[in-house]
Amino acid sequence: MIIDTSGPPVLPAKQVADFKPSLLLGEHSLCPGCGEPVALRILLEVLQELDIVQRTIGVVGHGCYGSFVRIMDVDVLQCLHGRAPACATGIKRVRPGVAVFTLQGDGDMANEGLQEVLHAAARGENITCVMLNNGVFGDTGGQQTATTVLGQRTKTSIDGRDPELHGYPIPVADLVASLRGSAYVARGAVSTAAGVLQAKRMLRKAFQTQLDGAGFSLVEILTMCPTGWFVPTAEGPTYQQGTMEQTYGIGELVTR
Amino acid sequence: MERELVVSGVGGQGIQLLAKTLALAATREGRYAMLAADYGGEMRGGPSKAAVVVGDAPLQALPILPSAWSAIFAHHRFAEGVQDRLRPGGIVVANTPLVDPSGFRPDLRVFAVDAMTAAKAVEAPQASGFVLLGAYNALTRMVEPAALVAAMEELLPPYRRQHAESNARAIAAGAATVEVSA
Amino acid sequence: MSLELLDGGAAMAEAAIAAGCRFFTGYPMSPFTGLLEEMSRRLPAAGGVCLNAESEIEGVNMTLGAAAAGARAATGSCGQGIALMQEAIAEAALNETPFVVFNLARNQQDYFQATRGGGWGDYRTITLAPKDVPEAVEHTQLLFHLADKHRAPVMLYGDPLLAQTRVGVDVQPRDFGPLPAKDWVLDGTGGGTGRSRQIWTWAMGKANDPGPGPDGHWRAIADKFDRIAAEEQRHEESMVDDAETVVVAFGTAAKFVEHVVAGLRAEGHRIGWFRPVTLWPFPGAALRRATTGARNVLVFELNAGQMLDDVRIHAADRDAVRFVGGVSIAESGLSYGPLLDAPAIRERILGGAT
Repeated sequence: MIIDTSGPPVLPAKQVADFKPSLLLGEHSLCPGCGEPVALRILLEVLQELDIVQRTIGVVGHGCYGSFVRIMDVDVLQCLHGRAPACATGIKRVRPGVAVFTLQGDGDMANEGLQEVLHAAARGENITCVMLNNGVFGDTGGQQTATTVLGQRTKTSIDGRDPELHGYPIPVADLVASLRGSAYVARGAVSTAAGVLQAKRMLRKAFQTQLDGAGFSLVEILTMCPTGWFVPTAEGPTYQQGTMEQTYGIGELVTR
Repeated sequence: MERELVVSGVGGQGIQLLAKTLALAATREGRYAMLAADYGGEMRGGPSKAAVVVGDAPLQALPILPSAWSAIFAHHRFAEGVQDRLRPGGIVVANTPLVDPSGFRPDLRVFAVDAMTAAKAVEAPQASGFVLLGAYNALTRMVEPAALVAAMEELLPPYRRQHAESNARAIAAGAATVEVSA
Repeated sequence: MSLELLDGGAAMAEAAIAAGCRFFTGYPMSPFTGLLEEMSRRLPAAGGVCLNAESEIEGVNMTLGAAAAGARAATGSCGQGIALMQEAIAEAALNETPFVVFNLARNQQDYFQATRGGGWGDYRTITLAPKDVPEAVEHTQLLFHLADKHRAPVMLYGDPLLAQTRVGVDVQPRDFGPLPAKDWVLDGTGGGTGRSRQIWTWAMGKANDPGPGPDGHWRAIADKFDRIAAEEQRHEESMVDDAETVVVAFGTAAKFVEHVVAGLRAEGHRIGWFRPVTLWPFPGAALRRATTGARNVLVFELNAGQMLDDVRIHAADRDAVRFVGGVSIAESGLSYGPLLDAPAIRERILGGAT
């Protein structure tokens, strides 16, 4: 909704003063039970709460969440697969006063773009990277990514991820946390209401870190993908708690 | 008119520095200069060649010279083919005894300079390249001698500043060599 | 006028800064390294940023980001590094982000890479091939103008002689005329207004303001490159009107060919030369005119025959086209071999003309 200021006000003044336009321009088009729209909502809420909506640029990678570019009322560069932290670096260096974030999935960040995010973190690049980790390539129909947990069935690990055959999952937040340039690193999960609130607090701290000029920040958010995991929609959250959240610890890894 | 100099020698003899000094001196005089270097991959011991062209108008010269007006031979190694490109009447500075001054075409004007002896005589043993340059410039008047010294000083990195005076002595010693012999 | 003795890398750096370049990335690779070092040294003083990127892929994407945010930006590399950048060059062509790529190659074997590209989709890359350092100074500035004029990544294709030869040059800012407003730039102010901006190769637009989508957008891009192909052809030629033999060459090799052909003309040969200044768009109509009536159209390039294809497409009589160049590489692998030399070229031309 956009407030019309071209004529006399039609709404009570307080209602106008308190009004924050939704940054969502429309409905998302992802599957029922998907955790990514939840993550998008808390991300946009954080931008509003920090009052940086009109000085923010997002860089969005390729995955299901890529369709959010159409419904986010934020300036956005949709970039190549995996390259978002590099693009965000260029943007931030020429517009240091703007908050710059990336929105990437596990396929985008841990597979195609691992060097981009590690180098940006090591450089202490003053940007915020958000990784939506569901351990599967959702957009292409459920194949194994670098973060797929052991035992997880995907279309390219049909009997479950086997370390003998497929190696081990990559804990991106832990890798990034080990680098000196990282000022804030956390991993959250949106499988419960409390988890959603915790993830939102993490995002807020990450952006605050950037606004303070303290260095690189990253929030990895575990998001449900019942479609890609081949589980009933309603079982997504409990399945995530029993699998991904057992492999990847939830909490803050770096605070400075 | 464009005048070309080819310098040929072995890496470590200061070939690139003397060529650069001449090109910079001409530039500081407001003239057009080109410096094309070809020194392979190694810093020392390998072939080292450079070409300098100076003119009063934007240059037409190719970065690999088809022919040249003059040459400095600092070493007999890697010198094959260089004198073939000198035009008749071309000026040659030959660094004796490393280079045999009698081994050149009869239509060239060859000046023998014992650069190392001259450099040692003015307590500048590191600067035999500048002796050759001083001799060459005295013969050709490519640039004003003062411009040559100024360019040499401008090119010295801070950690080599202590060589400014001895390099200048070497340039002067080179000039004296040919003024005596010529 | 004040001449400075600059190698090609430094001259291009100074020209880029004069053109307003304020963001530069690169990954060291000979002979591109000198330009990177010069930008690293000079750009901060000009209020810009130069990053020694961790990889070519990151470098070109940083440059894409900086350009999307409105800066005049550039990157560069050579051969293998340019190959890594092709993904982002294609992306930038299709999402209309303007920047300059300095392709300082080791020889002329990357003509196809520069003019055909290795990225995805229907795109072209405006490519200028200066013959020497003074022309590279002009081309550098022209390229920033062309990039903004057409909202497209553009390329300068050079070589070790261009990058490393020192020449007295006077770098002055050049004015190539007015440019369209950069009203598409991401500045971060669009959020929450309902008019937030988007740079997206698919051009889907926002839910409240749908874009043309890939079909409409990519048709428009194709039309744009058709317009560029018609508008931006540049070439030089000499002594072609009565020529029985026209020699075609580009870049540094063309400078040598000009020299050799002038000598042959002075000896009485009816010979001229033609040099495409833009490798894409290739100046085909001009080549057709220049080669009309010529018995020999000789192509000299330091590779196995790449521009040869374009000459065959456009020459007035394709049966007159003969290749007189060849692969010639220095032992180091980092520069040209003995074929890039006036006497050798003269021999090739005399041998190729019938």
